[in-house]
Amino acid sequence: MPAIRQSRSFKDISLSFRRHPVTNDVVGITNEDAVKRSVRNLVETINTERPFNSLIGSAVRSSLFEPADRDILTRLEIEIETSIKNFEPRVRLTKVLAQHPFDTNEITVQVEYDIIGQESQPQELTFILQPTRV
Amino acid sequence: MAFTQYTTLDFEEIKVNLREFLRSNSNFTDFDFEGSNLSVLIDLLAYNTYTTSYNANMIANEAFIDSATLRENVVALARNIGYVPQSRRAATANVSFSVDLGAGTSKSTVTLKAGLVALGDFANTNFTFAVPEDITSPVKDGIAFFTIDIKQGTFLTKEFTVDISQTNQRFILPNPFIDTSTLRVNVKDTASSSTIKNYKLLDNIVGIKTTSEVHLIQEVQDEKYEILFGDGVFGKKLGNRNVVTATYIVCDGANGNGVANFQFAGRLLDNDGGLVVTGISDISTNIPSRNGSEIESISTVKNLAPRLYSSQYRAVTANDYEALIPTIYSNADSVTAYGGEESTPPQFGVVKIAIKPKNGQFVSDFDKRDLLAKLKQYAVAGIKPEFVDLKFLFIELDSTVYFNTNAVASVSDLKTKVITSLTTFAKSDDLNKFGGRFKYSKAQKIIDDTDTAITSNITKVLIRRNLIADTANFAQYELCFGNKFHNRRNGFNIKSSGFTVDGIRGTLFFADAYVSETRGRLFVFRLGLDQEPEVVITNAGTVEYDVGEILIDTIRILSTVKTDNVIEIQAIPESNDIIGLRDLFIQLSVANSSVTTVQDVISTGADTSGSSFVSTSSFLNGKYIRQ
Repeated sequence: MPAIRQSRSFKDISLSFRRHPVTNDVVGITNEDAVKRSVRNLVETINTERPFNSLIGSAVRSSLFEPADRDILTRLEIEIETSIKNFEPRVRLTKVLAQHPFDTNEITVQVEYDIIGQESQPQELTFILQPTRV
Repeated sequence: MAFTQYTTLDFEEIKVNLREFLRSNSNFTDFDFEGSNLSVLIDLLAYNTYTTSYNANMIANEAFIDSATLRENVVALARNIGYVPQSRRAATANVSFSVDLGAGTSKSTVTLKAGLVALGDFANTNFTFAVPEDITSPVKDGIAFFTIDIKQGTFLTKEFTVDISQTNQRFILPNPFIDTSTLRVNVKDTASSSTIKNYKLLDNIVGIKTTSEVHLIQEVQDEKYEILFGDGVFGKKLGNRNVVTATYIVCDGANGNGVANFQFAGRLLDNDGGLVVTGISDISTNIPSRNGSEIESISTVKNLAPRLYSSQYRAVTANDYEALIPTIYSNADSVTAYGGEESTPPQFGVVKIAIKPKNGQFVSDFDKRDLLAKLKQYAVAGIKPEFVDLKFLFIELDSTVYFNTNAVASVSDLKTKVITSLTTFAKSDDLNKFGGRFKYSKAQKIIDDTDTAITSNITKVLIRRNLIADTANFAQYELCFGNKFHNRRNGFNIKSSGFTVDGIRGTLFFADAYVSETRGRLFVFRLGLDQEPEVVITNAGTVEYDVGEILIDTIRILSTVKTDNVIEIQAIPESNDIIGLRDLFIQLSVANSSVTTVQDVISTGADTSGSSFVSTSSFLNGKYIRQ
């Protein structure tokens, strides 16, 4: 019996909606970039923002107005971890680290993960969370 | 692949449809992952589709009279076919009082001004009563007598000035709960004009001229009413700066019924315009307030509007009478009409009408005469409407309810709950109408659904009619049940309450004996000392099992065990679904029904083998007489 070859790749639409210069189609994002965008979307979505499923997202945004101590950073890490584990089956989390750089109004979040089923390097996503009013 | 048709109102289903479409039409792959950009877009599209579908569904519903749910829309759709739903009706009392101006008075008349007339109270609530227009009475020997109808409610006035520069000027009365039968519309040419013209209410435009001083009314939003005037073609058109004065009574509907004690609070003027404050007698009540009713319900509007349209304001068929009577008699709860040819013996040229009033069980003779007069303008010549009194067919249940003791706190509460459920069912529209039907399976389901503790029920059904005995005379009686009787060959399918007969000792009862599958013989018996029946009249009448009728031969009943000369006669119906045939009005008699609770030992786990389970017979049997 011949072995079935499975090719696993991910392709998502880019929300920039830019035009591809050659195909004139909407540009897409693929593989690692697509997963990275998805992880970021999950973390930055506020619960109840998506219709009829209040579980998608995390409470990261509302946590930004809390006093910046270790407790809140730990809570943020748990929130991000739970959200990704629940809704992003393509990744295996290896590390989530939230930090508050001294004397700033922002929190940096570092997420490290492996993409399941793809032979790619471990991925690292770092982004800065800022309250919209500072 | 064809694009999916979105008829669903479920967000998740729409989302699945969109994903399925993308799966077969797109080179993007990430729509299955909730965090992806595509998933965000799909959510957005699905939500948009969902709201659009929902709105389209609601709009489609509200566009048809059968499915519309908002009163405003039902009324607007009924308006398209010329139907004006009945407003709330004020309770009306008939009272008398006199005004003594002194024997030597020179005054010739006394006028009771429109507005507040009396104060009354009922059940610790005060009510005001008014008259919608001035009432003048002549003075004879110094005294003016008034016998008038007064209406419960507050008399109000609203004035509009016509401004033709406003192209869409509307004359909407600002109050809800208006009794439109009390609405009077007067028009003056200008504010300073002393000539007042009364514009009459019209319900259709037949016979209207260009100069007819008429108005129409229609219900608008929030149970308020709008007055409409002629356009110069159909009815006289209003001129610029005309002043429209509308007076009306805002009432409490059925709450105002039953008031019998009144104190005068009106305003009386003599023929010179002088205020009369002395010599006013106490108010005597001829008829306490009655016939107050709520605004016509949405379900009635849906029911009557198409019927009235099909009748075209002409009483030709029996159905036309059923549609017309509620519009001219606001107290009608349910109406049935049938041709006299259907009655036994047939009466040709007669339409028989039975009305169940909202308040009480019988329509008064006064109201019947009034209705007959009003029906004349709609009726076809040669057809005579005739009112027949309501005949109640009572349904009694004997229900044994099995319950799980583990799921119930109080057995007596459970019983009360079942009785409450049955009482609610007894008031439902299924039963309380002519041509109503008692649905056995529905009643059983209602009992089962009363509480989660109830595991099953065995319910037996009896039908009963009340025979009103003529204690002064020999009489024959005919009792029609309109439902086939069950015929057990050992007799006693028919049972009655007790009565006494001239010349025979003791309390007697009716019962039946088997003759054939369709016929039975009625006999009269009394209970001996051993509680066994002793037949005293062998042939007292016949029972027709196949049509559900009891004919009692000439008998002189002297008295009855039940009050009001009533003999209750019960029968076992052949079918547990009971119908109200012709003028029979079925009522579920919860007071005479019995509910017994029995522990379900199998469900509780006390006796899973069922060896101590108390079984209940599904058949009525036992006693010789009605208990």
